[in-house]
Amino acid sequence: MRRDEPRTETERRARELFDASVEGLDAETRSRLHRARQSALLVMERPRRSRWQAWGTAAALASAALVAVLLWRPPGQGVTPAAGDPAGEPADEALALFADGDDVDLVENDLEFYRWLDEAGLPAAGGAG
Amino acid sequence: MTGPANLENAAVAPRVEAARAAPEDNTLNRATSLDRFLAGVERRAFRIAQLALRDREEALDVVQGAMLRLARSYVDRPGEEWPPLFFRILYNGIRDARRRRSVRSRLFGFLPGRFPGDEDEPGDPLERVAGGGPDPARQSMADQAMQRLETALGDLPERQQQTFVLRCLEGMDVAETAAVMGCSEGSVKTHYFRALHALRAKLDEVW
Repeated sequence: MRRDEPRTETERRARELFDASVEGLDAETRSRLHRARQSALLVMERPRRSRWQAWGTAAALASAALVAVLLWRPPGQGVTPAAGDPAGEPADEALALFADGDDVDLVENDLEFYRWLDEAGLPAAGGAG
Repeated sequence: MTGPANLENAAVAPRVEAARAAPEDNTLNRATSLDRFLAGVERRAFRIAQLALRDREEALDVVQGAMLRLARSYVDRPGEEWPPLFFRILYNGIRDARRRRSVRSRLFGFLPGRFPGDEDEPGDPLERVAGGGPDPARQSMADQAMQRLETALGDLPERQQQTFVLRCLEGMDVAETAAVMGCSEGSVKTHYFRALHALRAKLDEVW
């Protein structure tokens, strides 16, 4: 560090004495100052690590919370869509149709019946006339 | 196709390695710089704290606190900012120590016993003589002169004392002193003029 030079005799003498007292510090004081400096240099490393650890912990907690929110569904809302959900109805009907074997047979029989009516030239039940 | 790609990778690889190593190198460089800075300033800082507090143990605590604070909070700042920051932290520590002492003396002042700052231990004179230092007679005269300076400084108001220490003993310029003290350059000049005037009146005849 650059130092301003003293201008008066009082200033010069005061600095001279101060510098001499600094140079004349006893060994124990020097040793303790040295130890204090080493502690400071160790501390220089520690907070960085703990800061990163803190960020890591925070990120892990935030991820866990996000996953929990995404997976959580209110009670009573399993895989069945809510009533009145227009997107859910056609899928339900198709599923019910194919799940029920009798209904499939009924549809096939009805088709044959209507074809026979057409070939025989008979009016269909409930038709015009 | 693989040839140029390999060449490119070979050219990039050292830079990638350097970038990976950079944070550690940087930290190492900062640690080395900080070590050098603190080693250069620690004894002077201790003497400044001792002048202000008149107590060795308190002065050591304050200096250690200032070192820790600088290392913990300001090590990433440019190196040229460290001196004013360090001395500002040091003086904050000195002020806190004075406040603690004031509170202690108010709470426990009625109890008999010695409190920090009542008197400072000058150390064992025999140890200093045996240490192979300068001529004992000259050393004794210097010690007496220093003692007078300490007493005269101790009689100054806090801000004047601070200004004199930073400007004269540390050799800081007006702007640096103002930055450390958190005041204007005009205030520094005023405090310094008054401090110097008071010290001359007390010391010029005896020095």
